[in-house]
Amino acid sequence: MNNLKLVAARPSGERTIVDVLGLRVGEGLCVIAGPCAVESEDQTIRTAVAVKAAGAKMLRGGAFKPRTSPYAFQGMGLKALKILALARRETGLPIVTEVIDTRDVSWVGEYADVLQIGARNMQNFSLLREAGKSGKPILLKRGMYSTIEEWLNCAEYILAEGNDKVILCERGIRTFETYTRNTLDLSSICAVRKETHLPIFVDPSHGTGILSMIEPMSLAAVMAGAQGLEIEVHISPSSALSDKDQQLTPKEFALLMRKLNRLHEFLPELAAMKGEEP
Amino acid sequence: MTLEELRKDIDTIDAHILSLLGSRMEKALLTRRLKADIRDSDREAFVLTHIANASRGLVKPAFSRELFERVIVESKAMQTENPVVAGFQGEHGAFSEMAIRAWDGKAAAIPCREFEDVFEAVESGLFDVGVVPVENTLGGVVGAVASALAYTSLHVVAAIDLPVEHCLISPPGADHREIRTVYSHPQALAQCRRFIERNRLRPEAYYDTAGAARMLQENAPAGAAAIASRLAAEIYDLDIIKEGIQDASINRTRFFILAREKARDEGDKCSVVFRAEDKAGALFKVLELFAKKELNLTRIESVPDKPGDYAIFMDFEGSAGDDPVKAALDAAASLARDFRLLGCYRERKI
Repeated sequence: MNNLKLVAARPSGERTIVDVLGLRVGEGLCVIAGPCAVESEDQTIRTAVAVKAAGAKMLRGGAFKPRTSPYAFQGMGLKALKILALARRETGLPIVTEVIDTRDVSWVGEYADVLQIGARNMQNFSLLREAGKSGKPILLKRGMYSTIEEWLNCAEYILAEGNDKVILCERGIRTFETYTRNTLDLSSICAVRKETHLPIFVDPSHGTGILSMIEPMSLAAVMAGAQGLEIEVHISPSSALSDKDQQLTPKEFALLMRKLNRLHEFLPELAAMKGEEP
Repeated sequence: MTLEELRKDIDTIDAHILSLLGSRMEKALLTRRLKADIRDSDREAFVLTHIANASRGLVKPAFSRELFERVIVESKAMQTENPVVAGFQGEHGAFSEMAIRAWDGKAAAIPCREFEDVFEAVESGLFDVGVVPVENTLGGVVGAVASALAYTSLHVVAAIDLPVEHCLISPPGADHREIRTVYSHPQALAQCRRFIERNRLRPEAYYDTAGAARMLQENAPAGAAAIASRLAAEIYDLDIIKEGIQDASINRTRFFILAREKARDEGDKCSVVFRAEDKAGALFKVLELFAKKELNLTRIESVPDKPGDYAIFMDFEGSAGDDPVKAALDAAASLARDFRLLGCYRERKI
């Protein structure tokens, strides 16, 4: 970790707060929720209204989808960006959306409030530089084959362009385990909090790919010190065009939010506990 | 050539035909004001014969004759309907046309090349009204319009205060990532300067915002976009990449509706124009008249006219029928040179 300059934890221990339309990311618990992909105006706005009611702070929704197969649904592109802007107008939720092409960075920045760089593009250095130059808040996901050091070096690329509005997001890595879609590395939360001053989020949806694991992994992430979560929620998961097996219904999401808020209230009490002689 | 390419060409040609048909309808509507009867059988016979003779190749004379018979029927129906004719400067889709639509949704909007053409056609009776921009929150007074207003005999019968929402528009199906050059009126380019810089586009001046949109439809140049109104995007069948790209959120333009006769209904706002004597305190004395009657001035603007001479435009709240207004107007008329009430009207903010 010696080569980290701008990303490395400050001697003062001061942590970065990323301002997104007045929302202070890194303070309190911030949950980003929304569909894997924008599929229609109706689907997006209904999901946005539901996640806002449940307590989400930002709306996610894919416009440009990096899919394993070139024949799979690739996202609605510019049209999706316009729908997301409509959803923001309806709900006031800031928009998080992925950018996969350097030529798209400025255009996505015209519509979105946070640019997401996905796991598959984590080490796309020209994309990182463009994202840095945009001056927009960036949600940088951990690459599925990357070490923590490689990931933090990618954040360094963005900060080196003069943009310190970076949020890191753990989303699971490839291991020899095949039971889950990825192995969600929750220990990285502690590593990131020790080595850097940047906010750390966790994406339990991609991290596990298994619906029933999203809630326990979300709670575990917050317990371990994550400052936010990114969770896929779809108004009707069974009819989703992508990731249909890992998107929560608004009802499931609302219950999860209630549990998360209770847990978050309880955390200061744990933190204040001191060792006593037996 | 593929089927898709051929069909794209056909769509472009159809758009041309429709646009030309629109221009033809406009001219036909205007002829109504210059002829005694709607029906003119000599002229109809001439047009149909000419069309049949000019038909070539795949366009058979019988077909074109039939087509134009239908066009003539429609032209006459429109002349019978006789909508209000409102002239504006610019191409279809200009912000002035949006002001016309806001003022009277059924009026026929007729484009003119210059502001002078609008004034002349209303004065001569060819148009019922002319709609001209007076001032913009970012660009200030519209000089060419102010100069024409100082000399016109027309009356202001209404005013419309319209938000100016610039859109980045491109030919349908064009990839937004390929856009390099953006065409528009220099005023619009200036109002979107930060957007243009942010997206690393090259601004290219064009004579009119809607004209730039029309050029995109007609030529579809590679890597090009235009900045124009939403209406222009609709009219020329173009895609909107982004709406509201102007740097300042408050961008409004105020338009005057001009006619030969005064407004029939009572207004709540007045506009006057005059010249102050070239001596100390001359302008102050005029302003003092309005202050004493407690009339709220909403605008005062001096526009250079002849060298050393200024036309002073003033708007204030009140009706020309009210006694304090009458008194102030009478007193001002005897004090200032060339004092004229441009109109007493209602103003609508959209």
